[in-house]
Parts: sequence; C-alpha cells; structure tokens
Amino acid sequence: MDIGGYTGKILRVDLSKDETSIMELDRSTIEKWIGGVGFGARLLYEEVPAGIEWSDPDNRIIWTSGPLAGSGVYGAGTFNVTSKGSLTNLAGCSQANGYFGAYMKFSGFDGIVFQGRASDLVYLWIKEGKAEIRNASRLAGKDVWEMEDALREELGVKEKDVSIYGIGPAGENGVRYSAIVGDRGHLAAHNGLGAVMGSKNLKAVVACRGEKTFEVKDPARLKEKNKALFEHAKGFGPVYEWGSGGGLSALYGIGCLPVRNYTTNIFPEHEQMNGQYMRTHFEIRSKPCYMCRIAHVKEVTVTEGPYRGFVGEEPEYEQLAAWGPMIGNTDLGAVVMLSREVDRLGMDCNEASWTIGWVMECYEKNVFTKRDLDGLDMRWGNVEAVKAMLNKIAKREGVGNLFAEGVMRASRKTGGVAVDWAVYTQKGCSPRSHDHRGGRWAELLDTCVTNTSTLESTWAGIHPQLVDLPAVHDPFSHEEVSTINAKFNGIRQFDDCLGTCRFASTDPKLQLECLNAVTGWKLTLEDAFTIGRRVINQLRVFNFRHGMKKEDERPSTRYGSVPVDGPAEGKNIMEKWDWMIENYYTLMGWDPKTGKPLPKTLEELGLGELVKDV
Amino acid sequence: MNRITIEIWLWIGKELGDDFASPSEMRSIREESVAEGTTIKQLLDDLAGRYPPIARSVLDTKTKRLLPNIVVNYNDRVISPHIVHDQVLKDGDKITVLPIYVGG
Repeated sequence: MDIGGYTGKILRVDLSKDETSIMELDRSTIEKWIGGVGFGARLLYEEVPAGIEWSDPDNRIIWTSGPLAGSGVYGAGTFNVTSKGSLTNLAGCSQANGYFGAYMKFSGFDGIVFQGRASDLVYLWIKEGKAEIRNASRLAGKDVWEMEDALREELGVKEKDVSIYGIGPAGENGVRYSAIVGDRGHLAAHNGLGAVMGSKNLKAVVACRGEKTFEVKDPARLKEKNKALFEHAKGFGPVYEWGSGGGLSALYGIGCLPVRNYTTNIFPEHEQMNGQYMRTHFEIRSKPCYMCRIAHVKEVTVTEGPYRGFVGEEPEYEQLAAWGPMIGNTDLGAVVMLSREVDRLGMDCNEASWTIGWVMECYEKNVFTKRDLDGLDMRWGNVEAVKAMLNKIAKREGVGNLFAEGVMRASRKTGGVAVDWAVYTQKGCSPRSHDHRGGRWAELLDTCVTNTSTLESTWAGIHPQLVDLPAVHDPFSHEEVSTINAKFNGIRQFDDCLGTCRFASTDPKLQLECLNAVTGWKLTLEDAFTIGRRVINQLRVFNFRHGMKKEDERPSTRYGSVPVDGPAEGKNIMEKWDWMIENYYTLMGWDPKTGKPLPKTLEELGLGELVKDV
Repeated sequence: MNRITIEIWLWIGKELGDDFASPSEMRSIREESVAEGTTIKQLLDDLAGRYPPIARSVLDTKTKRLLPNIVVNYNDRVISPHIVHDQVLKDGDKITVLPIYVGG
C-alpha cells in the first residue's frame, strides 16, 4: 500500500462457513471513505440490504480502524464498530479506545467484517496477517473480565501482548443495549452492538501486538504536529486534570445533570460526585490507552463510605451521572461499584440507566410493586437493588427480560401513564447521560436526528469555533442551535474515520495536519467536511432504506419535556421543534418535509448512485 | 447600594486569592456592592477590570462579549447572553458564571 497509515487489507470472517478471506483495499475506496466509520458505513450499505434485521446472520458487524491508529499520534488506539443495531434496527456506529485499533493494524488489517453465525460460541484470533476462528464454548456466560483473564491464560500472554474485546452475559443473551467491552473497561456501547455479536455466537476478538505494518510518510512533521495536538488537548477543558467527570458540576449549573429520571433538576450533592472529588479523595492510578499522554483513564480505590476498599475503573462522566443523580444515589463509592458492574456484564450505562431510572420512578409512583419487580425494593438510591436488577437484565431473568428490551419498548409494553415517563428517542436510541433540556439543546437535537445512533454532529457540546464557524451564544435559541449543528456537521464523522480518541485530538486542524503527515495527502478542512458529510449521507440513505421515517426523529414525551425546576426551568425546546428540524434539514441539503437527502446533495458528495434509493 | 453575590465556577479560586471564598476547587464566591441601576454586564466588566483571571476567563477582550463557552445564571436560572447586557441588578441577587461546554 503506497498510502501511509494503511495495511491495505480488510479481513472477512464468515462465521457460518468457519472461514476467513482477505479483501484488498483500493486507492479510490480509501480516499473516498478514509477508514473507521467511513469504511463501516459503506460496507454496511453494500452488504446489508433492506429486510435484513439486526439479529439476522446476514447482518454484518464491521470493526474498522483508521489511518492514524498506531501511527504514533497520541491516544490512537481507537476503533469503530458499525452494524445494524438492536435498539433502533438501523445503523449503529460506536467507537472504543484502549489498544485494539492499533493492534488490529499491527496484526495486518485495517478492518474486519463479520458475517453469518457460528454453530457454537467462538472467538477470533489475529496475528501478523493470520486469522483463526477458535472455539469459545468454555467462555459461555463469563463476564468480560473473566473472559479477558481466561483468554490471556489460555494464550500464555502478558497483559499488553494482546488487545481483547468481546461480550459479557448481556450480549450472549441479546440484551438490546449490550456493549462490546475490552482492554479492561473500554466500550463500544451504543445501539446494542454486543447483542449483534451475541447473535453471531461471536464471544471475542483477540488482536496480537505485532510490528507496525504500514508506513508514516513524514515522521518529522508528524512529531511536530502531534506535540502541538497534545498541548491543545491538555488545555481543552478540565479532562486532563480531572477526567471527564471534571465537568459534572458545571453541567449541573446549567441544568444538564439528569436527576431522578428528569423529575427534578435539583441535586445539591453534585460536588461530592464530580471528578474533582474523586481525584482528591480516592486512590487513583493511571491506566492510559495506547500511546496516550492525556491519560485520563484511571483505576480507583474507594476510600470512604460503604464501598471503601472497592477497586474499579474511574467512572467517566456518563457513569457518574447515570449511577449518581439519575438514580438518586449520593455515594460516589457506589457509583464506582455500579459502573464496574454494568461494564462487567457488558451493557451500555446510558440505556441501562434510563431503564433503571424509569423503573425506579414507576416503583416510587406505584406503577410497579415490589412483587412486580421480583421482590426488589427499587426506591431512589437503593444501589444494591440496582445491582441486582442489572444482573437480572443481563441474564434476562424474571422481570429483567422486559427491561432487557430497553426503556422505549419496556415502557410501551407497560403502557398507561408510565409511557410518558421514559427518556428515549423515537428511533429507540439512547441519549447520553445528560439532561439535554438544560444548556445542551444542540445535543438533544443531534441525538434525535443522528444517523449513527449516537452523537453525529456534536461532542461534549458543540465547538464550532475550532473550525472557524461562529460560536453558539445562546444555547436556548432554536435558530442558533439548529443552524450551527448543521454547519458543524461533518467534522466529527471525519474524525471517527481516523482511529483516534476525541479527548486526545481536540483540534481538528492539527489532527488533519497529523493525517497528512501520516498519509502523504494534502487534505484541507473543506475536504474533511465533505468526507464527513459523505459518511453521514451514506448512513442516512441506509437508514431510510431500512424503514426510518421523519417522525422517528423526535424525542419521547419526557425527553422533550419542560424542566420543572433548576437552572433551566421553563425552557421549552419543543415550542419550535418542527421549525428547528426543517431548518436543520434544509441546511443539511435534505428535503425539509421528509428529511431525505436531495439528489443534488448526494451527487455533490460523490454518492450519485444512491439517488435511486431515496 | 445593592448587595450582590457573585459565584465563579471556573477553577480559578487559587488565582483570585483571598478576596474570594473558595468552598471547592471549582467555586469562588464574593459579595459585591453595586450602585442602583447596575447591569450584570457592568458588574462583570468591573470585576474583570479588578481581577485579571476573570478578564481572561469570562470576557472576550476584543468584542467585550462573554466568551462563547461561558454562561451566566441569574438567581440560579440560566439566562440568554443577550439578557446579560440589560438585566438590572436588585439587592440580594445572585450571579453565577460558569462554563457551558465542559467534559462528558
């Protein structure tokens, strides 16, 4: 491969036939789709026609890295997973960090396409261009930590000799929000991609470290730009010093912290639940991802409260919110315990928390009795009951079978007033663990109109000034939010093509300079936006082909409701929702009435062949 | 004169020194006396003139507007940045200055 950063090979794994083969990547495919979510979006469209459901053996699950993974760029161990996911039965794209993105390339592959269904539980092993499908029946039912331990012991390798990602009992049992978990606590969590793995009887993938299998075109320039990128990331928000939980109290201050399933926005204990408290009170040890100098990933030992002595991963912001205010818990040690539990079982903390929070509200308001809940006392803050319920869900045991369907389906099946209390999008995908009705309308809109099943345009808010677009001054302006979301859309999906972590690559311009140094290209920011928008429109055409409708791009009743108290009391995003959506569609080059990409838009993005599909 | 409580949630307590109480790493609190008719913007300008960390963290020195990542709460309610310029302060009011796009 004469382009820097690529092995030029995609591994195809046919689980039904128990065989593997190699697909050679050509230059035009690489230049058009770059990698990561780009490769995933295109392959999903080409290989999964309408009528194939998420659990069908003919569905694909596509693991792709990008040109920066393993290149020497700090924090570039990221990979992307694309499939038709189980929460939406539409496209799902999710990224995980750790080591796998780099190790997959060191094993000789830019990506892996899984198809079919194995007759028994299996795992895939890759090393130096070789691939073997191996029996994993002895791993059935094991949680993701036990799975990693068992595979390392069986292979006789040390911790960092391999990167392992796989599923826990939730994925094996088809929980709709099960995740792919690996490298001791990293997750590709959105849209039930773990359930897709489970449906294929695929327990895990093991990538061996190996040697670098690709070229970097301009190492000196990469070194210079990489250093500047690190300096930018270090100064961008409080993540370097305090982790992603460092912003929890600030989010509370603008009404963005989800409290007791959106029934209130008052949570005075926020300062004993944030990243600052964690890092000044608990014992902390660094666990950085592949070549990461930001090193925001930590392991903690709880030093106070009922869970004193408990060891787990430092919860990210989403876990802190999900297992703290969202369920009425004020003990930070319990957050560490529940974060570890949900990861261990292999589930997305966001959807798990929306489901648990809704169950608790239903219990408090007598929609569910203790008997309905298999004897569990699901009052606000009862963390041991939450732990027990998470285990029931992962096993689809008793009432856990209903809640394993996710909050949209569980609430609709329950019926009555409780339907209106559930937080979800009409597509079925989960918001992240915020109260977007506060100062994050940009993320609420993005969560509803996304084609990836999670954030598409925004990331931890929206930062248009990074690419010379005007900043959003009023986060509660329907016009500003919908306009800037549309104008900014593209650069984040381009980013997800590259194989790097967002926390380590905060400046899109410097990231692009690194890409050009690795590949030998001369891409501009405009090129990057075009490629990102191509990916978005490719996914959107896939989704319309698979049954998505404009009406699905709305929040549930509770998700779009008006906060009753707190900093954002009275703010109403739904007041001009239809206008906001049509403004957004128009600026994206989509039909304002249907949301479908216009032929002109597709043609300008080099996707003219898709016009017939819409 | 009106007594106003100003809270800064920007992790700059150490830089602001003893003029502000700092109950946590993030929060700095001070009570200010302002003349009748003073707006929120005028109070922020005054504080920025006296305290360089506030000038650096809150206001755009060129446009004199709030930095794009800054939001102001007025009596614990988020307000539009446009209102910041016009809202006249009353005795007992509370102003909170905080970052809008941080973390997670």
